[in-house]
Amino acid sequence: MEFAPQLYSAALRMTRNPADAEDVVQETYLKAYRAYASFQEGTNLKAWLYRILTNTYINKYRKAQRRPNEVELGELQDIYLYKRLGEQSGASESAEAVALDMFVDDDIIEAIESLPEAFRMPVLYADVEGFSYKEIAEILDVPIGTVMSRLHRGRKALQRKLWNLAVEHGLVEPKE
Amino acid sequence: MNGCDNAVEYVYQYIDDELTMTRRARIKWHLRRCGHCIDAYTFEVQLKQRIKDAGREEPPAELFETLRSMIEDERGSSQADC
Repeated sequence: MEFAPQLYSAALRMTRNPADAEDVVQETYLKAYRAYASFQEGTNLKAWLYRILTNTYINKYRKAQRRPNEVELGELQDIYLYKRLGEQSGASESAEAVALDMFVDDDIIEAIESLPEAFRMPVLYADVEGFSYKEIAEILDVPIGTVMSRLHRGRKALQRKLWNLAVEHGLVEPKE
Repeated sequence: MNGCDNAVEYVYQYIDDELTMTRRARIKWHLRRCGHCIDAYTFEVQLKQRIKDAGREEPPAELFETLRSMIEDERGSSQADC
């Protein structure tokens, strides 16, 4: 059960629903147990489990959507949120640390869960699970270049969502 | 490409520790000399940490029990097959 808490977290962020997340984790463990003979000692057990989890989720919930809609996120500036927040403050020493403090965990979760899944997965696997690009490429069965581009775009979109939340709730005033 | 553009382009590969040593050293050199870039990098590192902290959620305690008994059943049924 070593990785159950991690797998549950990832499943929850993908399904956005505790009951569905438990289902996905159970099915993942069952498949992993049955397929354990095909697991090669010395290879990465955690990545192997995540690969089963990812496929379980996709088969169960999102059969049609494996390919991301590339235009869906639009063009976004680099270090988007930092720049937007920087325009706000008088740029005191720790303005950015304070700026991130305006967000509570639920805001961050909302921003993660707002991402299209092809972008959400790499962000979760890199930021929450700390997988390397190579491991994420194996888990998602896509080339490393694709992982990097989706991760990059996913993070920018997440930052835009946080910015929009801050605007929506009157925490910041967008400059014209 | 100037040092700042370069630093911005590689910010994620840097904070994810996915750069070659040479490129990493080059960016580190720049960061030590550029207040704007080090602020931006610090921000990105902090945001990554916030995402990590927020993304984790403890599973309900019953999940472990369910998994354990599921595997027990599975083990039982595969032995029964023999």
